[in-house]
Amino acid sequence: MRIAAGVDVGSTQTKAVLMQDNGERKILARALTDTGANVLKAAESAFHKCCESAGIHPQEVGYVVGTGYGRYKITFGNAQMTEISCHARGAQFLCPGTRTVIDMGGQDSKAISVGPQGEVLDFVMNDKCAAGTGRFLANAAEVMGIGLDEIGPLSLKATQPVKIATVCTVFVESDILSYLSQGKRPENIMGGVHLAIAKRTLSLARRVNIEPEITMTGGVARNCGMVHALEEVLGRKLQISPDAHYMGAVGAAIFALEKMDDTFENTVWREHAAGSRN
Amino acid sequence: MAQVSEYRGSIHQQQKEMMLDWYQKLDEAAGGADQPTVSMMISGNCVELLEGFGAAPMYPEVNALQLAIRHQSLDPILAAEDLGYAADNCAYVKADIGCMIKGITPTGGRLPKPTLVLCNFVGCNTYVKWFEHVAEFTGAPLYVLDVPFLRGQEPSQADVEYVVRQLKEVVQLLERLTGRKFDFDRFRQAVAYSSEVEDLWSKIKHLSKHSPSPFDAYFDAITLMGPLYVYRASQRGADFFRSAYEELRAKRDANEGIYDREKFRVVVEGPPPYPYFRAFRDMFAKWNACAVASTYSTVGGLWEFGFRHDPDKPFESVAMHMLAQNVTNRNYLQRYEQIRRYVNEWNADGVIIHFVKSCRLFSAGQGDMRDYFTRQLGVPTLYIESDLEDPRYFAEAQTKNRIDAFFESLEHAKHTAKVGA
Amino acid sequence: MSHRRVISVTYSNFFRVFNLCMTDFERTFDHLNDTLQDISLGSVRRWKEQHPGSKAVAFFPVYAPVEIVHAAGMLPVLMSGAGDRLDIQHADSRFGSFICSIIKTTMEMAMTGHLEPLDAFLFSSICDSARNLCWVLKRNFPQMYVDFLHLPHSTSDSSVDFLAEEYRRFIVELEKLGGVLVREDALHKSIALYNEQRRLVRLLYELRARSPHLLRAWESYVLVRCGNFLPVEEHIDILRHALESVSSREAKKRDSIRVVIEGSFCEQPPLELIRMLENAGCDVVEDDLTLAQRWFTRNVTINGDPVRALAESYVHHSVYSSVRHDTGHPRSEGLAEKIRRTQAEAVIFLIAKFCEPAYFDYVLFKKKVEEMGLPHLLLEFEEKLFTFDRIRTEVETFVESLVFD
Repeated sequence: MRIAAGVDVGSTQTKAVLMQDNGERKILARALTDTGANVLKAAESAFHKCCESAGIHPQEVGYVVGTGYGRYKITFGNAQMTEISCHARGAQFLCPGTRTVIDMGGQDSKAISVGPQGEVLDFVMNDKCAAGTGRFLANAAEVMGIGLDEIGPLSLKATQPVKIATVCTVFVESDILSYLSQGKRPENIMGGVHLAIAKRTLSLARRVNIEPEITMTGGVARNCGMVHALEEVLGRKLQISPDAHYMGAVGAAIFALEKMDDTFENTVWREHAAGSRN
Repeated sequence: MAQVSEYRGSIHQQQKEMMLDWYQKLDEAAGGADQPTVSMMISGNCVELLEGFGAAPMYPEVNALQLAIRHQSLDPILAAEDLGYAADNCAYVKADIGCMIKGITPTGGRLPKPTLVLCNFVGCNTYVKWFEHVAEFTGAPLYVLDVPFLRGQEPSQADVEYVVRQLKEVVQLLERLTGRKFDFDRFRQAVAYSSEVEDLWSKIKHLSKHSPSPFDAYFDAITLMGPLYVYRASQRGADFFRSAYEELRAKRDANEGIYDREKFRVVVEGPPPYPYFRAFRDMFAKWNACAVASTYSTVGGLWEFGFRHDPDKPFESVAMHMLAQNVTNRNYLQRYEQIRRYVNEWNADGVIIHFVKSCRLFSAGQGDMRDYFTRQLGVPTLYIESDLEDPRYFAEAQTKNRIDAFFESLEHAKHTAKVGA
Repeated sequence: MSHRRVISVTYSNFFRVFNLCMTDFERTFDHLNDTLQDISLGSVRRWKEQHPGSKAVAFFPVYAPVEIVHAAGMLPVLMSGAGDRLDIQHADSRFGSFICSIIKTTMEMAMTGHLEPLDAFLFSSICDSARNLCWVLKRNFPQMYVDFLHLPHSTSDSSVDFLAEEYRRFIVELEKLGGVLVREDALHKSIALYNEQRRLVRLLYELRARSPHLLRAWESYVLVRCGNFLPVEEHIDILRHALESVSSREAKKRDSIRVVIEGSFCEQPPLELIRMLENAGCDVVEDDLTLAQRWFTRNVTINGDPVRALAESYVHHSVYSSVRHDTGHPRSEGLAEKIRRTQAEAVIFLIAKFCEPAYFDYVLFKKKVEEMGLPHLLLEFEEKLFTFDRIRTEVETFVESLVFD
C-alpha cells in the first residue's frame, strides 16, 4: 500500500491530508492546526496528528508534498508545489468535471482554469488593492462585534444589502461604522459586504474563462453567506466538497502519490528542500 | 537551493567604470568645472544634440534606480511624502525630489544644478510634472520639448517638422545658456556614433534568439542600458558596444547560455522591482527561465526592428527617434505588437507582465494586455504587481508564489504535450 | 414623480418649467441632476433619434474641440464616468490596482453596452491612464472611431501650427465618419455659439463669487455640467433662464467661509459631497469641477481661419489645468489669481483617488497657498462613495478651526 501526504501551510491555518493508493485513491485522514509563528512546527504537528488519527507510523508515509505560503519551510517534505497547482488537482479529484476553481483564502483570492487532468491552464489572483478576502470578512466581523462563523448566516437574512464601494480592508471599517450610525440593520450591512466580495470575485473569475463545473475551495467556502452570494452573481451552483478547506493538502497528497507512481517525469519536481526525509 | 545563474563578463566591469566616470564628470561640474549639464528623461532622449555643446546628460531616473537597487530609496521617498507628495505618486519622482531636499546622491558625489532642465516629453505625462518640479526645486530653466504622441503607425510630416523646430529652439536656448556655439559637425558625428552603437545593440538583442540565450534580455540588458543612454553618441560608447557584442557573440557561438540548461524562455513587460532586483531575478533563475526579450529595454530606444539615427539627416532622425522609436511614445497597441513579435521571433514560452504601481504609462491597461495574449493569442501570461522604486509594495511571498505557479503550469503543459505526442 | 416626466419629454420644455415659480426653479436642479445620473445616455439617444444619421462624438471633458464636432453636424458628448451608478464587474480585468475610478467606469460602461449611442471616442494626453484607455477601447470596440489628439504642452508658435494641423487631421476623420463636409462658415457659427455658452458660464461663476447665497455650488455645477451632453443651443437657453431667475431669488446670506475647490477637473465627486461641503459652512466661490465649458478665458476670434483661431486659443488663452504644461505661466500662479479674484479665504483640494496630475500639482499649489497665508484642506474622493462620515468630520473640523479662530 502506498501512502503519501500533503501539507498545506496557509496564512492562518495549516492543513494536512494522508492519502493511500491501492488501485484507488482514498483520503485516510485529515488534520488541522493554527499556523502561528512557527511554520515548521505547525506543519509537523498537522502531519503527525494526521498519522496518529490514521494509525500510521510517519515512516510509512512514502512521500510528502508541501504547499501554501509556508511550503519552503517544510524541511521534512520531499517537494513543494504552489497551492494553485494543488487546488486545481485536488478539485479535479474531489469534484470531477471541475473546469474552474474559485479559491478564497485568508490572504488571496484566486480563479483557476483547470484542464481535464486537473492541470492549470490559466490562473489569476486578486489585485493588490483587493487583497485578503478572508481578512476583509474577519475585519468586518470584528467591527460589527460578531463571530466569524455567524456573519455568513447573518448575511443570508439581508433584505436590502447596503452598498460597499471599497474593497480596501482598512476602509471597510469606516464604511461599516457609518452604516451602523445610520441605523442600518446588521444583516443588511453584512449582506452588502458579502455581495461586494462576490462581485469582486466574479470579476476576477472572468479573467480566466469561467466554464462549468465551478468548484469553490479554501477556507471561505465554509461561509454559507459567501457561497450564496457567489452563486447569486454567477447565476449557477457551485460545487463544494466537504473537504473544500483541505483542497490544497489533498492536491499536494495526490502529487505526492503520483511522484511515487512516477507518472511524472523528474523535471516536474524541484527537490531542493533541505533535509529530505529519506 | 535555487540555482543562481548570472553572467559576469568584462562588459560588467567596463560599464561600471563608465558610469563612475560619468558621475565623476557631474561631480566636477558641481564643483565649478566648465561643464554644461542637461537634465533629460531616458525615454527617447536626444543625447546626440547635447554632444553639439559638449554637454553632459543627467538622468534623474538613473539616479532613482541606482538608489533603489542599493536599498536606499525609502528615506528620500518619505522625505518627499512629508512635502505633500501622495502615496500614489510615482516613486521615481519622490525619490528624486527627496534626494534633492536631503542632498543625497547615489554615489555620494555631488550633482550639479543643471544648465537646462530639458523635458523630452514622450508620452509620459508624469515626466512633465517631474521636470516642472525639478525646475522649481533647483531654480534651473525649463524647456518642455513637446513630442506628439504616436497616433498612427508612423509619425506624420507635421509631427516631424514640429519636433525639429523645437530641437532648433533648444539649440538656440543652449547657445544662450552655455555661451557656447552649437558645433554642428560634432552633432553630426554624434549621430553617426549613435547609429553605430544602435547597430551593435540591435545585434546583441538578436543574439538571444539563440537557445540557450547568452544573456538575459531583461536583467542583463539593464546593465547595458546605462552606457546606452549616457555614451550612445560617443566614440567610447561605440568601443564599449563593439566589445560587448564580441563577448556575447563568442558565448553564443560556444553555445554558452545564461543557464546550463535553459528551461523556459519568456518575454518580460514592464520595469523591474529595483528594490528587490536580486530577489526577483532569483525567482526566475530558480526555474532556469531566461528573458529573451523585454519592453523595458526599449524605453530609451527601439532598435532591434531596424531604426538607426542618420548622420545625413541629423535633426530629422533625432526627431524620428523621439517620436516613433521608443516604447513610451508608441501607442499601447503597438506595444502589444512588439511583444507579440518577441514571442514569435524569439521563440518564447510565455509573457511576464510586471505591473508597477508608480508607472501608469506602463501599467494602466495591462489587464487588457493579458487578455489579448491569453485569450486572443493563447500565449501563457503571468501578471504580477509591485513597484520599481518603492520597497513597500513588493510582497515577496506572493510574488514568488505566482511565479512558481506559472512555471509549474508551463511545466505541466510541456509534460502533457510530450506525453500526448 | 410627475416633474420627472415633464423634463424627460424634451429639453426645450425646460425653461417653461423654469418660469413656473421659484419652487419649480429649485426643483429643476434635481431634474437636471437626474439626467446627469442617466448612464444610458438617454439624452444622446434622443438627439440621435431626432437627427437620424447624425453622429455622437465623445471626449473626456478636457480641452475637447467641441466646435469642430458641432460644425460637422455632430453632437459632442463629454464623458465623466459613471459615478456611483455602475458596479465594476468587467473593467477591473483590464485596469487593475492603483488606477482611478473614471477610467474603470468608462471602460465598464463600454463593456456593458452603455456607450452604444456613441460613434466616436476621442482622447488627448491628459494623463497616462487615459492615454492607454484610448487604445484599450480601440482594441475592444473596433466598431467605434477611437482616436487620440495630441494637444501641445508647449506655447511656442510652432505649437499653434502643429495644433492647427492636428485639428485638420481630426476634421478629415470626422468628414469620413459622417460623410459630411466641415465648412468654414459652419465653424465660425459653432465658435460663436460656444463663445456665447462660455460667456454665460463665466457670468454664472461671477454671480456665484459675488453672491454665493443666491446660487449654491451644487446648483451651478448641475447647470454647467448638463452642458457636457446637451446640444449647445439648449444649454445656452438653460443658462440664460437660470441667470435671469437666480437674480430674483430670495435667499438669505449666511455665515460661511469662501473657499476655492481645486483638483476635480476630470473625475467628478459625488454631488452629495459638494452639498456636504456647503452644509458644513463653505461657500464654494470658484472650482475646477467640470471645466468643460470654461476652457478658453476669452472669446475665440471669429474672423479668418477658424481652425487656426481654435489652435491659438488653446495654446495661448486656455484656462490653466493640471493636465497640461503651461510654459511661462505656472499653474500655481493661475490658482493664486483665482484666489485673489474671488477673495477666497481657504482652499479645499478635492482630489480623486489615484489622480496623478492632481497629486503632483497639489505639492506646488499647496506651497503657493501657504505663501499666500491661506488655510487649506486636502480631501480624497472616489466617484463611487456611499458614506461621507469620514470626509464630513474633516470638513467640519476645518471650518470650525477657521470660524472660531
